[in-house]
Amino acid sequence: MIPLEHFLVVSGALFSLGLYTVLARRNGVLVLMGVELMLNGVTLNLVAFSVFSDPQRLVGQIFAIFVITVAAAEVALALAIILRLYRNRQTANVDQADLMRW
Amino acid sequence: MTTEQIVWSIFFSPLAAFLLICFVLRPAGAHGLAGLATIVGVAGALGASVVTFLNVLAVPGHELPLADYPWLTIGDLRLHLGLAVDSLTSVMLLVVTSVSLLVQVYSLGYMAGDTGYSRYYAYMALFTTSMLGLVLADNLLQLYVFWELVGLCSYLLIGFWFHRPAAAAAAKKAFVVTRFGDLGFLLALLALASVAGTLTINELFTEHKVAALVGASFLGVTALTWVALGLFAGAAGKSAQFPLHVWLPDAMEGPTPVSALIHAATMVAAGVYLVGRMLPLFQHAPAAMAVVASTGAVTALMAATMGLVATDIKRVMAYSTVSQLGYMMLALGLGGYVAAFFHLMNHAFFKALLFLGAGSVSHTTGTFDMRYMGGLRRAMPVTFWTVLLASLSLAGIPPLSGFWSKDEILATALAASPGLFWLAMATVLLTAFYVFRMLLLTFTGEYRGGGAAEAAANGDAAQGADAHGHGGVRLHESPSVMALPLVMLAAPAVLSGLVNLPTIPALDDFLMSRTVRETLEAHHVAFNPLLAAFSTGMALLGIALAWLVYGVKALRADSLGSALGGLPYRMLYHKYGLDFLYEKVLVGSLLYTVVCGLFAALDRYVVDGLVNGAGQLTRGLGRGLRRVETGQVQAYGLAIFLGVVVITAVAIVRG
Amino acid sequence: MELYLIFPELVLLLCALLVIFSDLLGARKEALAGLAVLGLLIAARLAMELVGPDKGGVAFAGAIVVDDFALIFKFLFLVSTLLVVLASVEYVERFEGVAGEYYAVLLLACVGMMLMASAQEFITLYLSLELTGISLYTLTGLLRDARSSEAGIKFLLLGAVSSAVLLYGIAVLFGLTGTTSLPQMAPAVASGFQENRLPLLLATALLMAGLGFKLATVPFQMWVPDVYEGAPTPVTAFLSVASKSAGFVVVLRVFHTALGRDPLAADWAAIFAGLSLASMTLGNVVAIQQGNIKRMMGYSSIAQAGYLLVGLAVVPQSGVSGVLFFLVSYTVTNLGAFIAIIALSDKLNSDRISDYAGVWQRAPFLASGLALCLLSLTGVPPTAGFFAKLFIFNVAVQQNLLWLVVAGVLNSVVSAYFYVGVIREMFLGAPVDRTPVAVAAPVALALFLAVAGTFILGVFPGPAMSVASAAAGSLVP
Repeated sequence: MIPLEHFLVVSGALFSLGLYTVLARRNGVLVLMGVELMLNGVTLNLVAFSVFSDPQRLVGQIFAIFVITVAAAEVALALAIILRLYRNRQTANVDQADLMRW
Repeated sequence: MTTEQIVWSIFFSPLAAFLLICFVLRPAGAHGLAGLATIVGVAGALGASVVTFLNVLAVPGHELPLADYPWLTIGDLRLHLGLAVDSLTSVMLLVVTSVSLLVQVYSLGYMAGDTGYSRYYAYMALFTTSMLGLVLADNLLQLYVFWELVGLCSYLLIGFWFHRPAAAAAAKKAFVVTRFGDLGFLLALLALASVAGTLTINELFTEHKVAALVGASFLGVTALTWVALGLFAGAAGKSAQFPLHVWLPDAMEGPTPVSALIHAATMVAAGVYLVGRMLPLFQHAPAAMAVVASTGAVTALMAATMGLVATDIKRVMAYSTVSQLGYMMLALGLGGYVAAFFHLMNHAFFKALLFLGAGSVSHTTGTFDMRYMGGLRRAMPVTFWTVLLASLSLAGIPPLSGFWSKDEILATALAASPGLFWLAMATVLLTAFYVFRMLLLTFTGEYRGGGAAEAAANGDAAQGADAHGHGGVRLHESPSVMALPLVMLAAPAVLSGLVNLPTIPALDDFLMSRTVRETLEAHHVAFNPLLAAFSTGMALLGIALAWLVYGVKALRADSLGSALGGLPYRMLYHKYGLDFLYEKVLVGSLLYTVVCGLFAALDRYVVDGLVNGAGQLTRGLGRGLRRVETGQVQAYGLAIFLGVVVITAVAIVRG
Repeated sequence: MELYLIFPELVLLLCALLVIFSDLLGARKEALAGLAVLGLLIAARLAMELVGPDKGGVAFAGAIVVDDFALIFKFLFLVSTLLVVLASVEYVERFEGVAGEYYAVLLLACVGMMLMASAQEFITLYLSLELTGISLYTLTGLLRDARSSEAGIKFLLLGAVSSAVLLYGIAVLFGLTGTTSLPQMAPAVASGFQENRLPLLLATALLMAGLGFKLATVPFQMWVPDVYEGAPTPVTAFLSVASKSAGFVVVLRVFHTALGRDPLAADWAAIFAGLSLASMTLGNVVAIQQGNIKRMMGYSSIAQAGYLLVGLAVVPQSGVSGVLFFLVSYTVTNLGAFIAIIALSDKLNSDRISDYAGVWQRAPFLASGLALCLLSLTGVPPTAGFFAKLFIFNVAVQQNLLWLVVAGVLNSVVSAYFYVGVIREMFLGAPVDRTPVAVAAPVALALFLAVAGTFILGVFPGPAMSVASAAAGSLVP
């Protein structure tokens, strides 16, 4: 069986890649994908912990399903707002959304 | 009514006037009745104060036993809502209500026709209520609440003529500067609550509370000293002590009756009241006492020198107030409990009178600038004579009230600290000089055109709104509602010294109520005729100098038979003598310019600079820090990431 | 069944659906607001039934707990939502056809927050947090203009990132203890502290970051000014009080229940002390520079979060009661201020502080109410804000956190500068035009309630203080 540490490393890598995407990509849709990556990292973590610590109760798996569902709702809302932003500013790049600052 | 109900009615009577104006008269549009409402409310408080005073006088030990009511509990700290009336409180009540009443009557004339008439009286009623609440509070938290309310009313009243930018700026300056002092007050409260476990004033004086406060220490200094310094910081802010005095001269932008009531007689005395009230604690912290005394002496001297050069009559008064408050602090710092409050009482009367007199003068001339006044003695006899009496009292000429109390302070200083005594003595000379300079510039010589001339000199048509006189058209005495309070204030300004004559120290006996007698080491200093003669001599010298500089100069400009009449004829005859004197004065004035200029520069660039600098530093910091907020959502995300890293690192390093 | 424990939430949920359907059927906007008010009142009445000894309890296998601590927050959320609904009756005109959705989503956010107050288990907690979050993102972006959309996308993206961070922390804790229930986690955390110190500290830091986002504390506060400025004003009001309280209920519950034992408690208390200092200083100092009142209130809310965190720098129960009383007074005060701002900004059609010049002459009631609330935020007695600060600072002094108290008091001096600046503008400035500003009755009622609360708490804080202490007792014995 694959040891727990491997899962933790992969999930940590996924989370970090996601964070990098969030911080570095300009397009709002790509930033959203970064958020998804971060959440996937967490999900993997939850499932791995669940399997290794208490395989009978499936708490981590249940948690993971909830996270995925919520993420879907969030993305739907985010796309709607990005669309509206595009209508207002003719761009989907989040770095150009700086009407308000200081 | 029971004794207790009477005491409560002192507080509720002006409050009722305030509520009536806010919720009935103003919505109903009956603005004209506001003045009457406040006057009735304050008069009620005065009546109740008189009755209370008599009650206190009749009780042995001079303390009224009053019930208190549970208010709130913070942890182990139980606070009560209660009033405490002892001899000191009853005297303060009389001073506050009587001065307030006269000022309200005077304002009927002064504020007549102002668009903010009812608003003015609402603020005044609220102010009087807060001041009375402050004096009556039996615990420090309650006192602090009213302390802040008083500050708030002061803010509203200084900025009363809000269309003038200077007034708005002065109001804000007063609010922010005094809050710096209040910071100390609040910290002292927290320290007291935590170390002594009570905020009730008389409980704090008990031996084991004092022992607890002396026992605890922080940074090598006893908790008691910190508490005393914190309280003094609050008092210094409110009583305009160096270096927090900067707000008071600017506060003169408010209506003159406000200056008379708030910035001369009552609110600024609150700091002195606080320190005096807590003196049984202060005396166990010698370091704090030394700070109080030396701050007082330095303030007294410094403010007096700045009074010498001011040309705005109200600013002269303002500096004079700061200076006199310094005297009171000096007395308190040296343990002169009775001397300080004796002077506080006398000062309240004669200074209120001086302010009202200044208001009366400007009401007629349309200006506050003494350079455009002059020769008003004939036109305004009532104002002139009453202001003259008040000035003599301020200068400390026997047998007027100011003499007796100032002499007690000087005697206390002489017994305790020669250095501070000489500072105080120098202040006597300067005081006599600046007050007569004011008097001579305003009332003697020839009329120099008033507000019209000032406007012409400044080249602008816009005049100060406070000075809504009739500049230069026809000089006349102020209406009787304004003149009457002047006359009525003149009586105590002359006579109030008699309550504590060296031979019959009635006030001395009265103020030493039971608690004070038990907890405060008495510092009674015997009357010293030699000292009295010396200080009177100094005052006379100051007056003489002022006369030579300003009285005689006026003469030179005038021809024979002018305002000063036949008297100077002989002096004119001694022309050479005069020339000689002029040389002296010129040399003197050089010194004078340098010293005063130095102090003024210190004030403007160092003290004001520090106060403003703190503000500018904060603003600069704000300008820099707001740039962090770039508007870039990804930068914000980066901040979250870095935050996590830093917090984790700190947590690991800590453990 | 333990279902009765969540009756208030269920009623609100039902009410939200009713609002949406009535809107579809073409009900008038006033009717929708009335319906929302009705639902909130019924929910509050049902919540009253849960007050008292032996009335609350634990439901759904330990996922939900109804204790005094949860209830005080539920009432806080209900009152906030009620006042915001009342205050927005005029403002909804700007929503161009989505007024029904506005009320419904507002109610949903309230449901989410009430569940957050009760959640005692991480899955429930996460779900209620996201229910609240997604509702708030929606509300923020509800206007059609560029600023509202920009605020919405910023809020959403950062919110999503912070909840991912939070989840990572939860996952680590779950891995270390094998449970998602807060009470069951506590002993495992305490016993495993020595061997698992590093992962525990990492999890704590991640939780702080994820939840710090809700509290608006430095350095997770960056979204606040932008979102406050861009969001519709009633939503800003809601964010500033309800969302912040919701953050605090979760932080208090999680840190005191799951991580509340020494030596870990001492660690997070020290970090919160640092965050507190940074938040109040940054908030107050930058607020001085602001010209937009909503943005200024954003920085002000960061500063207030700093004062609130003083109570978290103190581990014992007294710290919790200090935070609770502060939150109660902050809620009424800040709502009062915002209700006045909603009405004024709507009528003046501007958020610039300079445009508030002389409004005292045009809208005396609004201006006086706003002034009183701003003074309360400054901490001037006799207002709620004074006692809130006094209590929380007093607690800190007892715990020898003198440096933090000195910083706090100094900060409140700085804050006087910009709060009084607004008052000065309103009362001492010269108005451009003098036409009186009309106030709708519900708005006036809401403002009156908030101002009365601010004043009453400032004169007789005793009863509220004992309620706060009792509630704190149910969280930290």
